[in-house]
Amino acid sequence: MAKLRLEITKGEEIRYISHLDYASAMERAIIRAKLPVAYSEGFNPHMKLSFASALAVGVTSQAEYIDIECKEEIDINQAVERLKAVLPMGIRIKGAAYMQGNVSALMAIVNLATYEITVPLLAEDIGIIEDSIRWFNNAESVLYTRESPKGKKEMEIKQYMAKPIAITVLEKAVRLILEIRITPTGSIKPGEVLGALVAMFDLPIDIDNLLIHRTGLYISNAGRQVSPVEL
Amino acid sequence: MINLDPAMLNRVIKPARYTGNEWNSIKKDHDKVAVTVALSLPDVYEVGMSNLGLKILYQILNNRVDTAAERVYAPWVDMEAEMRERNIPLYTLESLKPVKEFDIVGFSLQYEMSYSNVLNMLDLAGIPLFTAERDEHMPIIIGGGPCTFNAEPVADFFDCLVLGEGEEVMEDIIAAVSSWKKAGKINGRSGILRSLAQIGGVYVPSLYDVTYHEDGTVAKVLPNCPEAPLVVTKRVVKDLNTVEYATRPIVPFLDIVHDRIMLELFRGCTRGCRFCQAGVLYRPVRERRPELLLKMAKEMVDSTGYNEISLTSLSSADYSCLPDLVDSLMGELKEQGVSVSLPSLRIDSFSIDLAQKVQQVRKSGLTFAPEAGSQRMRDVINKGVTQKNLEDAVSAAFQAGWSTVKLYFMMGLPTETDEDVLGIADLAYKVLDLYKEIKGRKGAKVTVSVSCFVPKPHTPFQWFGQDLASEFERKQQLLKARLRDRNITFNWHDARTSFLEGAFARGDRRLGQVLLKAWQNGARFDGWSEYFKYDVWMDAFNTCEIDPYFYATRHRDFDEVMPWDHLSSGASKSFLQREYEQAVTEELTCDCRREHCSACGVCPGLGVEVLDWGSRA
Ligand code: SF4
Repeated sequence: MAKLRLEITKGEEIRYISHLDYASAMERAIIRAKLPVAYSEGFNPHMKLSFASALAVGVTSQAEYIDIECKEEIDINQAVERLKAVLPMGIRIKGAAYMQGNVSALMAIVNLATYEITVPLLAEDIGIIEDSIRWFNNAESVLYTRESPKGKKEMEIKQYMAKPIAITVLEKAVRLILEIRITPTGSIKPGEVLGALVAMFDLPIDIDNLLIHRTGLYISNAGRQVSPVEL
Repeated sequence: MINLDPAMLNRVIKPARYTGNEWNSIKKDHDKVAVTVALSLPDVYEVGMSNLGLKILYQILNNRVDTAAERVYAPWVDMEAEMRERNIPLYTLESLKPVKEFDIVGFSLQYEMSYSNVLNMLDLAGIPLFTAERDEHMPIIIGGGPCTFNAEPVADFFDCLVLGEGEEVMEDIIAAVSSWKKAGKINGRSGILRSLAQIGGVYVPSLYDVTYHEDGTVAKVLPNCPEAPLVVTKRVVKDLNTVEYATRPIVPFLDIVHDRIMLELFRGCTRGCRFCQAGVLYRPVRERRPELLLKMAKEMVDSTGYNEISLTSLSSADYSCLPDLVDSLMGELKEQGVSVSLPSLRIDSFSIDLAQKVQQVRKSGLTFAPEAGSQRMRDVINKGVTQKNLEDAVSAAFQAGWSTVKLYFMMGLPTETDEDVLGIADLAYKVLDLYKEIKGRKGAKVTVSVSCFVPKPHTPFQWFGQDLASEFERKQQLLKARLRDRNITFNWHDARTSFLEGAFARGDRRLGQVLLKAWQNGARFDGWSEYFKYDVWMDAFNTCEIDPYFYATRHRDFDEVMPWDHLSSGASKSFLQREYEQAVTEELTCDCRREHCSACGVCPGLGVEVLDWGSRA
């Protein structure tokens, strides 16, 4: 058994596919590449794959991580080349490493996600934008109501903000950099942070036209950040 | 290229329906090809992407260097609203170019209830709805699929309709369009339509005039120009072993209806069920060779990465080399985690053995289609299944460990009595009893699904008047009262949808106005119960002063001219009439695949023959 960890992307071409779609696209690519992947036992065997974190519909990423359990350890360059040749548009391999020893699940170790969000502005006045972000950054706590088919849930946003939001004003748009903590008890979605910025801090943006891009997933420990392939 | 607003895609459900880029999709530079084709099925992505015919055509057309074939499906209602609000025209998934800019738009017409979506898609594309309103700058609108054998209700909207199998005829059409374009679109629209009319299997409705008798029945359908043949006969591929197959199908990101490899074992089915249109339209039976199928299957696993192969055909269990094929498929592909599935089961223990072999998991229950409850009724429809066959099959299934059985039936078949209807209930109870006998305890679950019979053109029952919706509903209640066991689930079809389907299935050109009116008043996705608007349709019939009962529930005489008499499947009208007469007298007709020929006329008429490897071994 060998665990192959890949750093892969979810590009603009496939922005609107769901996490489940993304996972099955990887599964099918692995079959096409004929990698010696391991299957679970039982009546309905499934491929042993695991992801670091689910990515929502509409979000792209330059740093997704997947662990592929393999029956044997084939040459890593060969594995990458074979997979590269059969990946759909929008998925690229950026890094690969075999994980040695008993590594814990990706899902359990990743605790920080960074995002770059671009969204059109509804007002010209840069001051308003800066004020709104400053209020948010300085607020002790920000309460947000998450609405899902399961019902409403009150969330405190600030506990998940690893850093103050940074912004760059572009022509007719603004770019926001978010660093969000992923904790064992939950996290907040970047779209929800923007929702709160609009609803409570009057950020003048066209939130419907928001483009979210994940720039990194990290294991952050005592001020040190490493990506899962750098472990 | 159309610019797709994130706000629009963020708002609609399943936006990946509209963004393409799937594995095996093909993007070509339109400047470097002679002909561009937009292939469509007028339903939502997940349904359209599951159609085998379109997968095959996509590959055949894209294999040609001179052709670019792309896809477009019906945007779901939420996306339609967004597109209309933003003035985004219907576009294809590969190039994101407006459909209007293509040379050909091909619609696969699989069921009548998708007609309103055709109009809606043309409208969204900015293409004039009527063939008469389109000039030579507009795409040529082509229809294919089973409905073309009587697409008279949509005749005014299509430039041509293709009868039969598309593999070869599409290449003829591309050649004709390409040379017409090269010659500077010579003689305009009428030039290309007349040249298409000369291709076998291509029906150009505008080149025919229809006259009617005073009683509303069709008097004559006659060509109005020398290029159009008196009768258009379907195209049929002689030998499936020599034509291209969809070995590199597109692998969607979304879950689609048939999300697996479709391995087509053979085409045609000559069991001769008298209600079945496919059984007539796809004659004769032509099998692929097992060696070729194995090779195709391996190619498809490599090209798609799917881990399931469905053995697709009208009645897969009839494939002559099935056990060997299943063994070799499972043997060779097991390593790659690939499983094999059978979409339809024949009602016998042979099928149960096979199902047991391929199904490692007892996931879903087994599905059988006895079609009718009583033996008498099954003889009428020539469903060669006896009570004993059924009992054997179900017993074998229970012995093999299944406990859930689904049974499909129809009601409203010719000569049906209440006793026949109640026979469905008797059968369901018999299945429960069998389980108790075999297992010594209760525990079986039976689902009974009953649809309303819709008489179809080109079948022995094409003369038969459909039951009134009220009659269907009465029979449904009758059966419901009898099926009061909590281990039996009873599902039935909406009688009103079947009534509308009945009117359009055997309709004529005058129904085009009704369709237009209904679409204008909001009809779309009529095949989806949540969007079916019965009142809109009835209002449309009223406004146009057209009587739907004339088409759906009226019995026809054998000598009546049918609206589709000029469209031939190769099976003769006299064969169909003979079959109807034998139905009434409850006489069976054998399967010409392995027994003698029943003289339907297809083989001599079309110069084809039955290809069944079992019978010649
Ligand atoms: S002509 Fe005879 S053999 Fe051929 S399909 Fe018809 S009944 Fe069968």
